[in-house]
Amino acid sequence: MLLEQFINGMTLGSIYAIVALGFTLVFGVLGIINMAHGEIFMVGAFVGVMTTGVLGWPLWLAFVASIVVTSILGYLLETFTLRPLRGKRGVSHLAPLISTIGVSILLENLSHHLFGAGNKPFRTEFAEMSIEIGSLTIYIVQIVIFVISIILMIGLSIWLSKTKAGKALRATAENLETASILGVDTKKIITLTVIIASAMGGIAGILVGMAFNSVSPQMGLAIGLKGLAIIILGGMGNVKGAMVGGLILGLSETFLVAYGDSGYRDAIAFIMIIVILLLRPQGIFGSKIAEGR
Amino acid sequence: MKGIFQKSFTVMVVLMLFLLTACSGSSTGDEGSTNTDGGTIQAKIGVVSYLTGAGAAYGEAITNGLKLAQSEINEQGEVNIDLVIEDSAGEAEQALSAAQKLMNDEEILAIIGPTLSTEFFAVAPEADLNGISIMGTSTTAEGIPEIGDYVFRNSIPEALAIPTAMEKAVERTGAKKVALIYGNDDVLTKSGFDTMKKAAEEMGLEIVTIETFQKGQSDYNAQLTKIKNANPDLILASALYNEGAVIMDQARKMGIEVPFVGGNGFNSPQVLEIAGEAANGLIVATPWFGESEDPKVVEFNKKFEEAYGKLPDQFAAQAYDALYIYADALKRAGEADRELFHEALAETKNFEGLLGNFSFDEIGDVVMDVKVVEIKDGKFVEFQ
Amino acid sequence: MLADFINPYHLQIASFILINILLAISVYVPLSSGQLSLGSAGFMGVGAYTSALLTIHFDLPIFVGVLVGAAVAGCLGIIIGIPSLRLSGVYLAIATLGLGEVIRVIFVNWESLTKGSIGLTGIPQMGRELLKLARNVGIEPAMFGLRNNQFVYLMVFVILLILVIGTIWFVFRQQNSRIGRSFSSIQMDEKAAESMGINITYFKVLSFSQGAFLAGLAGALFAHVMGYISPSDFSYHRAVEILIFTVFGGSEVIIGSIFGAIFLTLIPEVLRFVSEYRYIIYGIMLVILMAVRPQGILDIHLLSKFKRLKRSKGGVR
Repeated sequence: MLLEQFINGMTLGSIYAIVALGFTLVFGVLGIINMAHGEIFMVGAFVGVMTTGVLGWPLWLAFVASIVVTSILGYLLETFTLRPLRGKRGVSHLAPLISTIGVSILLENLSHHLFGAGNKPFRTEFAEMSIEIGSLTIYIVQIVIFVISIILMIGLSIWLSKTKAGKALRATAENLETASILGVDTKKIITLTVIIASAMGGIAGILVGMAFNSVSPQMGLAIGLKGLAIIILGGMGNVKGAMVGGLILGLSETFLVAYGDSGYRDAIAFIMIIVILLLRPQGIFGSKIAEGR
Repeated sequence: MKGIFQKSFTVMVVLMLFLLTACSGSSTGDEGSTNTDGGTIQAKIGVVSYLTGAGAAYGEAITNGLKLAQSEINEQGEVNIDLVIEDSAGEAEQALSAAQKLMNDEEILAIIGPTLSTEFFAVAPEADLNGISIMGTSTTAEGIPEIGDYVFRNSIPEALAIPTAMEKAVERTGAKKVALIYGNDDVLTKSGFDTMKKAAEEMGLEIVTIETFQKGQSDYNAQLTKIKNANPDLILASALYNEGAVIMDQARKMGIEVPFVGGNGFNSPQVLEIAGEAANGLIVATPWFGESEDPKVVEFNKKFEEAYGKLPDQFAAQAYDALYIYADALKRAGEADRELFHEALAETKNFEGLLGNFSFDEIGDVVMDVKVVEIKDGKFVEFQ
Repeated sequence: MLADFINPYHLQIASFILINILLAISVYVPLSSGQLSLGSAGFMGVGAYTSALLTIHFDLPIFVGVLVGAAVAGCLGIIIGIPSLRLSGVYLAIATLGLGEVIRVIFVNWESLTKGSIGLTGIPQMGRELLKLARNVGIEPAMFGLRNNQFVYLMVFVILLILVIGTIWFVFRQQNSRIGRSFSSIQMDEKAAESMGINITYFKVLSFSQGAFLAGLAGALFAHVMGYISPSDFSYHRAVEILIFTVFGGSEVIIGSIFGAIFLTLIPEVLRFVSEYRYIIYGIMLVILMAVRPQGILDIHLLSKFKRLKRSKGGVR
């Protein structure tokens, strides 16, 4: 039971972590919370359902399609909602919040129209494969999700610290104006950031579809809120923090259900962040003091 | 870039102004005959339904059922029904506004809906106060018809459906230990759970564990692992089909093979669509049996699928019947008068509908037979 | 005569608008001291449940219930406000949003008191109680040529209108007082304000708990207008909706909150005829608006323009 619940928690936590990585990347560079990230994730999941279920494409192609679609969405999001707000006088931190909420409302209702309101099953052969160890059944999908989340985290960390583009991105995150003076094409970097974050949302979407076999237009909100809690938990804009925060949340939700009262499951994320904000406002891994953006 | 936005802003403002005027204009309809002309009785029925948001699937099914019934009824002559459909977005206050709008229209004879019990609790007292008959087609929670004289429903309450299903299931499987799982943040599933728990206690079943889940959740593994380890003979799941199907799918994957007993909201062909083979072993009590050989049902299935591209569920069927019940009462009332209609409606007895023989009891609740069905080999069959 | 003009549907919408104005102000007040609070939905729930439970179980008059409900929410605001001082900006927003969710989950789970998700039915409805009262002293709505439901909704509307005007007057007065100026100096620059000798802790907690009080008031009134409440009335959606009222209308001026609440409550009603698409339109509208006027529709510049326009027309002064 303990081991089984541990695996459940790690699977859930890995998904939370991938979603949170997208949030944290955008926050780290732009200093804004992208409230539409959950819905982009949801669209990614639907692309997976449609391509594998209706069109009968193989899984790898579904991944590609999902990444492409969510990247385009990310590009549109940046061009039409975030860019107009940047560098404008009198723009408070509220404006991008509201504007991305607008996008999330739009995407949720749009996909409701396109795909219908109910849950859609996600059928792939792959999701059925499992290995048995003693009395324990582990699905390959569960392992894959965990591995992908680790790869994404490490890849992102290396990319940020070693490559030129990654360095430019960090410079932009540090100070937009200085970076642009130093010859960084900040516009390109920011667009790239939003696109990468969105594509990660798309990947997470497909993974959720495979793991839980349910995709619905409303799934973005629930997971989006958790993602929000995680980036605070792990420290805003911190890649490692997002990963660890995600795993902690996934495990604690699972163990709350297993050994406590499942009715409080949705509250645990926020109880944790309220506590952490009061004890250590910068988050578990954050180094900066919490300050208003 | 800036120019574009400024232009679009102007466009938006103009659009808003246009919408404002359009709204105030549209509320004054000019076809004003609720009278009888040429032998047919004209009547406008207001519908409040959940058409946008998380539960829109239910509202969609309901309005589709109503529309199908409407076209048939109008074809038959005798009565000619006009449906005025308003969206409630699943929120009590919007439902109340929508109902208020309908009630204020003198031509509206009676109301069908709203979809959710939470909305219904807010709307029904108001309709009762205004003397307008209101009927719920999907509101199965306790205490609905007790709200007032003018409040009816044709959806069988959980208190009737669930114990029947449980008794039959226990009878066949000889189950002694049961596990419960339910959505604790939804009225329908919560009220279903209360019934299940009470019934289980009365039947002397041992409850090994009680688990909850919340709306929008997609991972039920933690709860199911716990249930699996408690090793029940039967799982009582009070869930709407959307969540319920996913729960079954995840349970089967995990190796839980015991049957599920579900509530009213669990009964839908969509369960098969979502869960596939994993749906085998679901037992529900319901007035609606989609695979029935009854020619009425067969015909309804055919027509519904033709019109809306998918098989009807019980929400559609109950809504379909509801409009027929209204039409029947209207015929007996003889004219589209709120008071006469109310009297006729309350007297509805032995109405032969799609769902079988139907009557109202003295408070406006349902009197009808309940069928128990199960999913076997990917199909709904009558439970034996 | 009079009866022809009184449309309960319109009055109902108007009543919701008034409640939403209170909610919008409950975000505006903390924001005027630089605190972005998304906890309004939670505080609203506290006010609503407190008042509903008191009136149902102890037969207290509605106005006592409403006052106690608002006061309890206000006290909770103080308790939450003090530790929240360490947070600002986005952090405070998410923490308060989380607080709202936690409160909702408690409502769902504390079944012995709140009946869980089934919600509280049979809450005395303000208008209907007044109707009873009026009848007891021998006044029938028919004496004014009104139908019962017209009377009920008219009374609700009038009471709410008085309360809302009172609230706006209070906030307006406060803004132009020492307190209001302290709020805005804290919003501008906390450190500078502190060095000027302004008691930051006191004023920040004051504005935060005022917001909580107003949200609680609105919630209690909501309960007695609806007659039925359940935890889903106080969810994330409500919190976001309230925030959007304030930001859409313009978060710098109180008139912005009022305008936002009126406009955005009307829009879904106006868009009823395109009901299936109304939230899509709503979403697009938010995006366009933020791109064009990120500070909200109304701001100080626009208002002063209006004033100048008026003055030049009036010619005097």
